[in-house]
Amino acid sequence: MTRRMLTALIALVGLFIALYLTLYKVGIIGTLACGTGSCETVQLSRWSTFLGLPVAAWGTAYYVAVFALALAGIQDRWEDSLRLSLTMLVVTGWGVVFSAWLTYLELFVIHAICRWCVVSAAIALVLFALALLDWRATRRALRSADDRPTHR
Amino acid sequence: MGQERMEGGRGGGAGVVKKQSATTGGGGRPGGGGGSASGGGKRWFYIALAILLVAGIASLSYVAARPKQSVSTIDSTIAPVPNQGHVMGSDSATVEVVEFADFECPACGSFATLAEPDVRARLVNTGLIRYRFMDFPLSMHRNTWPAHLAAWCAAEQGKFWEMHDLLFMNQDRWNGEATNRPDRVISNLTKPLGLDMGQFDNCVSTRKYQPQIQANVNEGIRLKVPSTPTFIIGNKRIAAAVPYDEFKRQVDEALAQARPNAATKATTTKGAPTKAANTKAR
Repeated sequence: MTRRMLTALIALVGLFIALYLTLYKVGIIGTLACGTGSCETVQLSRWSTFLGLPVAAWGTAYYVAVFALALAGIQDRWEDSLRLSLTMLVVTGWGVVFSAWLTYLELFVIHAICRWCVVSAAIALVLFALALLDWRATRRALRSADDRPTHR
Repeated sequence: MGQERMEGGRGGGAGVVKKQSATTGGGGRPGGGGGSASGGGKRWFYIALAILLVAGIASLSYVAARPKQSVSTIDSTIAPVPNQGHVMGSDSATVEVVEFADFECPACGSFATLAEPDVRARLVNTGLIRYRFMDFPLSMHRNTWPAHLAAWCAAEQGKFWEMHDLLFMNQDRWNGEATNRPDRVISNLTKPLGLDMGQFDNCVSTRKYQPQIQANVNEGIRLKVPSTPTFIIGNKRIAAAVPYDEFKRQVDEALAQARPNAATKATTTKGAPTKAANTKAR
């Protein structure tokens, strides 16, 4: 299994978590499965919306984007695409920055930890690490391919 | 679109043919992004993807299909709630609503700050219902007992509901996530209530009302309270922080059962309260 396949699978897990939190936020799910109840403290706080949309909805969009990029990346057409690797690196990098900001808010502003949010932040970090490895491997492979003499 | 490059040989013999997409802007590479997947690898990937998709969709469908609130009928052989807890409203109200709540529970806080003001203004102050608060501190909340003790100690000085509101409004300042010294934080928060702080602090530190709180917990266990907040309205047990509209619908049903004409009255009594709340701790 390649890094991009792994990225697609992990992004899908993140997508379901974000979707779960979004469905709670919009009222389709009544209560969150969260041991200490702090998930609701976080989800009901004023920090749970960003630019008029639930933060979880932004998370859903993020995971859809990463999933779609990774899925495209395993197709023959884009298997060697450095541009796609770079796009994944930028998107997942943004995901890490956003998750870090949300985790800071949980720890130092809201004073409550939402376990689903922590899992999502960990997933964002793993996705970024995978994207970084993929980008480096793609760049290295492209360089070595360029240096190799071709038969005429 | 794609431009082919031969490697390791000329023509289509033993050479490996890699497709180089025009969109890459660079040369093709053996191995692809993160290593190329064999047909078998891709098959396993799609199998894993399908399993994840089915599991994820099934899980989400399950939690979304579950009722948002648990409503059950109370066993009629269980005796009515005895006269304990803290009561707001008229003794002559037709229906008594009992809430089992935990001061540190976020859902209870959400109900207390979002729906309860309407409940008081439109249902309690109009004499339609009497509202009884029963303590149900949950063991998962480490700072909830000091809060319940503080509420009872404020009740001793006739300020239960003021303390109730203050605790719920400031839940994020004294809860287990915020502090290891809830007594001190709650004591500071309490100052604007104008209590005799010496008496209050002494009452809290000696856990004077612990037996009463425990009695309420036992009553909740006896009535099979599943979670907080749980409301007992008429013969219904509602285990959820319901919004005002749903709360009133349950009250209307209870009123209709209690006296046939009450439902009509309930639907026409909206707006300014007609009677001040009768607040007392019992």
